[in-house]
Amino acid sequence: MSLAEAPAAPPVPAPAPVAWLRLLRSELRLVLGRRRNQVLLAGLALVPVLLGTVLALTRDSALSGQGPSFVGQVTGNGLFLVVAALFLCLPFLLPLCIGIASGDAVAGEAGAGTLRYLLVVPVPRTRLLTVKAVAALVFAACAVLAVAVTGLVVGALYFGLHDVTLLSGSTVPVGEGVLRVAGIVAYVALSLTGLVAVGLFFSTLTEVPVGAMAATVVVAIVSTVLDSLPQVSAIHPGLLTHHWFDFAEFLRVQVDYGVLGQGLAVQAAWVALFGSLAWARFTTADITS
Amino acid sequence: MTSPAEVPGTGGADDGLAVRTAGLTKRFRSGQVAVDGVDLRVPRGAVYGFLGPNGSGKTTTIRMLLGLARPTGGRAWLLGAAMPDEATRVLPRVGALVEGPAFHPYLSGRANLARLDAGDATADPRTARRRAEAALDRVGLGAAAAKPYRQYSLGMKQRLGLAAALLQPRDLLVLDEPTNGLDPQGTREVRHLVRELADAGTTVLVSSHLLAEIEQVCTHVGIMSRGHLLLQGERAALTERGAARLVVTTRATQVTAAVEVLAGVGLTEVAPPDGIPHPARVDGPVRITAALGPTPPEKVSAALVHAGIDLLGLEVVRPNLEQLFVELTGEGFDVAR
Amino acid sequence: MAETTPRPPSPRAPSPRARWAVPGVVAVAVAAAVGVPALASADADLPDVTAEQLLTRVAEAGPAPVQGTVVYTARLGLPELPVSEMTGADPLALLGGSSTLRVWSDGADRSRVSLLGATSEYSVVRDGAEAWTYSSTDDEAVHYALDAADQARYDALAERVRPGAEVPGGADLPTPEQAAAQLLAHAEEDADVTVDRPTTVAGRDAYQLVVSPTDDATLVSRVVVAVDAETSAPLRVQVWATQDGEAPSLEVGFTDVAFTAPDDTVLAFSAPAGATTEEVVVPLPDAPDAAAALPGAGTVPEGVAVSGSGWSTVVTLSDVDVAGLVGGDAASLGTVPGAERLLGSEEAQDLIQEFVPQDDEGRPTGPQLDTGALYDQLTTAVPEGRLLSSTLLSVLVTEDGRVLVGSVPADALRAAA
Repeated sequence: MSLAEAPAAPPVPAPAPVAWLRLLRSELRLVLGRRRNQVLLAGLALVPVLLGTVLALTRDSALSGQGPSFVGQVTGNGLFLVVAALFLCLPFLLPLCIGIASGDAVAGEAGAGTLRYLLVVPVPRTRLLTVKAVAALVFAACAVLAVAVTGLVVGALYFGLHDVTLLSGSTVPVGEGVLRVAGIVAYVALSLTGLVAVGLFFSTLTEVPVGAMAATVVVAIVSTVLDSLPQVSAIHPGLLTHHWFDFAEFLRVQVDYGVLGQGLAVQAAWVALFGSLAWARFTTADITS
Repeated sequence: MTSPAEVPGTGGADDGLAVRTAGLTKRFRSGQVAVDGVDLRVPRGAVYGFLGPNGSGKTTTIRMLLGLARPTGGRAWLLGAAMPDEATRVLPRVGALVEGPAFHPYLSGRANLARLDAGDATADPRTARRRAEAALDRVGLGAAAAKPYRQYSLGMKQRLGLAAALLQPRDLLVLDEPTNGLDPQGTREVRHLVRELADAGTTVLVSSHLLAEIEQVCTHVGIMSRGHLLLQGERAALTERGAARLVVTTRATQVTAAVEVLAGVGLTEVAPPDGIPHPARVDGPVRITAALGPTPPEKVSAALVHAGIDLLGLEVVRPNLEQLFVELTGEGFDVAR
Repeated sequence: MAETTPRPPSPRAPSPRARWAVPGVVAVAVAAAVGVPALASADADLPDVTAEQLLTRVAEAGPAPVQGTVVYTARLGLPELPVSEMTGADPLALLGGSSTLRVWSDGADRSRVSLLGATSEYSVVRDGAEAWTYSSTDDEAVHYALDAADQARYDALAERVRPGAEVPGGADLPTPEQAAAQLLAHAEEDADVTVDRPTTVAGRDAYQLVVSPTDDATLVSRVVVAVDAETSAPLRVQVWATQDGEAPSLEVGFTDVAFTAPDDTVLAFSAPAGATTEEVVVPLPDAPDAAAALPGAGTVPEGVAVSGSGWSTVVTLSDVDVAGLVGGDAASLGTVPGAERLLGSEEAQDLIQEFVPQDDEGRPTGPQLDTGALYDQLTTAVPEGRLLSSTLLSVLVTEDGRVLVGSVPADALRAAA
């Protein structure tokens, strides 16, 4: 009976940051605890395992030494397995995982109908969107780390860690090499933030999560295709994917942080644009699911 | 559209109303008007049956009340607070079940409640577990709390939705179709729960397209049809207003005489039983119905007895809400548009 | 619990329209962030100079330490080459499109130039008479060095030109003013040399020297050299074609430059462990030969004819086995007049090697690039043979094995053939 007793005074809400963190913890548990997302991360972690195994088995055969230089260098230095695995995952597998996580963020809740219950709890829409965005970003970081950490472990086990030969032909000690590879991992993770924002925006447009996921992946693919067409070279520098492979900058004799900064500035612009679009859409949309 | 400023006594004032709307209208982008100038008035402490067939605009109205959809015209207040602008302030005091339950299928009932509680800035995380257990027990889901939602039956899902609405003490409960998918026993339990909550002082707005299921618990009723609020008010007053009918049971041999008597005392629409009584049962009981109108029933019984008619039974039938609806709209209640 | 007193209206949340204005504002801000720097690179405000003064400054300045990023862009009007940007740092990419190079130089005899690919790099590191090239794509280093005797001679020569040392015959060397005047006089024989409005290159104020050929027959409209106002170092060279007034056909310029000495780790090079390393001993030419080897130094090799003069010169090479060259037959290189001398230069050798990839036994292989198809794609059939025509250069290969090259319209070549 006591549950139904009406309170005399309106309930006092917790301070916004406290409430935000409590919801974020719940959201992270939801995203990272979900079986599908765990399978995705495991699948990504499998890439360096497979790549390392294949390279270890074929290292003395005619098949060795093909592909980009750092794939060929993996057998000489396990540290390159991290770079090679990221290089292989970056064009499609990582965007796919990002697309699934960010496209599902709002549309998944809308499709399941749980969105309306969150909103009448009430969770303020801006708070919900920022929590969803942060959780999607955390998932993106986990995806990159899944590749990087397994790459490091598998590479170290199969091939050992040695001094790093840079693209420029210079050699740096293994300690600096690890730092440079850490820089690559960080840059790749930050390079995916724009795609997360795009996915989040699509996610606010529909109640069909698969649609938002597919649209996000398509954006990444279309961006890659446009990037390979010289006829539209004028728009290349602003493309979402154009600067993704600039992570190679960390493997040059003198790292030009201006180049990296430009790549991150482009991501920041995409995040600002699609983040604000997602916010405008989500805070004004009628929830009809 | 009526501007709220022109409506006297509005503008955030409480009015003793838990739910109030003024000219609430929702026109979809397609041009279809789902809700057209609805003025709801739900007094505090009432159990308000929000009735209407499927597609009559009940759910859209409830979505606007809860800030899920934005009205294209008019305004709405919950517990005196304007929606949707003051949603954050007022919604913690409102429990809601909107258009069926919806939860994450791979989480347990308990985890689903924890998820919703984590979103509530007014909820105390330290008591979350206890409150969730209490709510689950209250709807009879205590034993299934750890099972994933996807393994729940339809009735269990509905109960979990109710449990979510009961996570916190509420001043107002908005229950949209709470009996959907429930068996008769479950329906009875929901009715019991609603009555219990109302007895404790909570205002309940309960919508349904099945009148009979909730009619008995309502103190107030509003009837929607095609986006319009046809009528609202206290249930007793509404049903009183409807035309009562008199049903007289007599012997078949006396039908003609009885009909004459009934017409004689001023009853209209006097209808004798269909067809000729079976020859073998010429003196069997038959029923004659008539519109009672202003005539007192005792005057009718006296006239019949006086005319020497064997009065085997006499009954005054008040119309129920469904009959009232048919009377108002000329169409069946369960017909979706 | 009943609240009977009217509550003051709470501040209304922004209307939907106001919310949708936010992404609009963000879009404008992003556009501004992209566009404003482009607009801001307006003309620089510098004191006027004459062409001769500017050339004098350039000659006076001499080489200085520099490091920066150079972007090379070719808009030659050639058909698109079937070379994806992803194939790596490959000098072939210089034929079309845009390439980025990093340049480091200590201003004396040590330097590094790196051609950047998306995830690859082709580096040329020079240290005096020694040089390394390293291709990250093949993990292959080539070391060019003199033999011991030549190295000794080189060191002796280098000692003599060391700053402070007596320059042999120094009195004969022109002063910067004289050199500039001579250069200007030579250039003005068949071109107008003017100073255009100052500009900004790589964020630095720069003068622009414009050389416009007076000859109407040439494809070259003008050559524009941007010279840094502070250090007088050239920052950008543009070659404009008469056919295309929109953008320069060739452009090489810094996008980012600093006139500071590069780090020693950048200029140092040793073959990385595990890379295939090739040693190439380069003969140091004898002094008289060196003069002869300079292009345009007077003597024309056998089989080469020159017609026309100045900007519209046409060079005709006779008896060239074009089909063999296209087929990747290295031996046919010998049919190119003066080829052995061309190949004496490291750059040319690199280029040839890049054009004609070789397998381990030195046989030419070409899996990445079908040179025959490339030739067919770049050239068009004309009655005289096959013609390659670009905005700056025309090449006509006739049926009888002659190759005509000139910075003139294709019709002029066909007339000359």
